[in-house]
Amino acid sequence: MVKEKGKVFLLLLIGAFIGSNLRYAESLIFKTSNGFPLGTLIANLSGALLLPFLIHYLQDRYNLSSQVVLTLSTGLLGSYTTFSTFTADTYRLYESGQWQSLLIYLTFTLVGGFLLALLGNYWAAGQAFNDYVRSRRK
Amino acid sequence: MNFLIVGFGAAIGAFIRNELTLLQSKIPVDFPVITLLINIFGALLLGIFTAQIHNGAILLLLGTGFCGGFTTFGTFSMELSQLWFQHRLWRCLLYFVLTYIFGILGFIIGIHI
Repeated sequence: MVKEKGKVFLLLLIGAFIGSNLRYAESLIFKTSNGFPLGTLIANLSGALLLPFLIHYLQDRYNLSSQVVLTLSTGLLGSYTTFSTFTADTYRLYESGQWQSLLIYLTFTLVGGFLLALLGNYWAAGQAFNDYVRSRRK
Repeated sequence: MNFLIVGFGAAIGAFIRNELTLLQSKIPVDFPVITLLINIFGALLLGIFTAQIHNGAILLLLGTGFCGGFTTFGTFSMELSQLWFQHRLWRCLLYFVLTYIFGILGFIIGIHI
């Protein structure tokens, strides 16, 4: 556990800076003509998949220090994904009566986010198992 | 210039989120209350900012930056999957429903305050 507040802030500054700007860049790159929030969706779904993989596999596999894990998980992936923008997007689609987009967005976020988080855990366990089998063969 | 504004706002948001998350181990409730409250409160704040702030740069700092970095979808999904794998299915469902209903409601309240 990283204790000193100044150090924690610096690590989170680095992680959050990168994570939030990746999300911001995706929202600009994946701009759609009908205003469908594709950028937020991609950021949230990929983040949901990667976080369990980082915590349950990469952390042990590469012996990441608590500083690196804090920077990458709470800082980078925590800021890369966002819940508040999701609620804003949902409201905007509802207000403008884009029912089809709203239904697709809600389904992909609610169902997809959960399934990808499960998948991230299985992916981590699968990789760890592969590493174990490989180490036994040597 | 915009990337500095977004990054700085998100860093403050992430720092406050981290400070609050540390409280989770101190409360005697076996439920991810802190992330739940962070996401609901962050959605409410974003609603308020969206309705009240008309300056693009400040909205980028406080909305895309601060609220975006403060709230998190990754941790929420990960906690859901943990409850699922621990076979605490009712808690998992409750966490799911509370986050989405009160999160969206929070934004709507924020925008109409």
